[in-house]
Amino acid sequence: MKSFIRTNIVKPKFCKFTSEGITEIDYKDLNLLNEYVSETGKILPSRLTGTKTIYQRKISSAVKRARFLALIPYCDNHK
Amino acid sequence: MRHYEIVFLVNPDQSDQVPAMLKKYSGVVADSGGKIHREENWGRKQLAYPINKIYKAHYILLNIECSKETMQELSSSFKFNDTVIRHMILQRKTAITEKSAILMNEENNKSENYKKNDAMSEHEEIKNVEDSINTNIAI
Repeated sequence: MKSFIRTNIVKPKFCKFTSEGITEIDYKDLNLLNEYVSETGKILPSRLTGTKTIYQRKISSAVKRARFLALIPYCDNHK
Repeated sequence: MRHYEIVFLVNPDQSDQVPAMLKKYSGVVADSGGKIHREENWGRKQLAYPINKIYKAHYILLNIECSKETMQELSSSFKFNDTVIRHMILQRKTAITEKSAILMNEENNKSENYKKNDAMSEHEEIKNVEDSINTNIAI
């Protein structure tokens, strides 16, 4: 049963940054960052998005910078 | 000389002080023989979360080439200035002069809105013409 569910969920994964040749990830590019953040504001793991490790680290630092400047929320229940 | 990128948020109640602040900081940089490569005013933006019960802030982006000492002077002035809610300083390898992604995005949104408005007004004109035709027929 478990294996059946897993095969249904699998989506094609690829690293956007290696395929498009993007080297730097800017914390000001909010449209890009929102693709790698969940609905609740958490950073999505690379095992779900398929990003390479180098770019995953760059994404996480960019998201953290954007959060500090209040461009992106930390979570979904800020007061 | 080093390249720095600064973003700082100003309290929206004191956002009329922004031009004076920018003048002061650019004066400090110019006096030490530095350069300002990019200066952007993102205007008053809604914060993603409130900071000290403030819900909006005035964003300013600066890309500066200056010495370490002047940068320290600037950062201390940010720290002791009550109108600056938050600031972030990054070191960059080169001078960046292109428009930032946030400004580009805002401009795109604006142009899209204009297009929508234009489309709406055209639609209304057509409607008016149709109405007048209808009234003519009725007469």
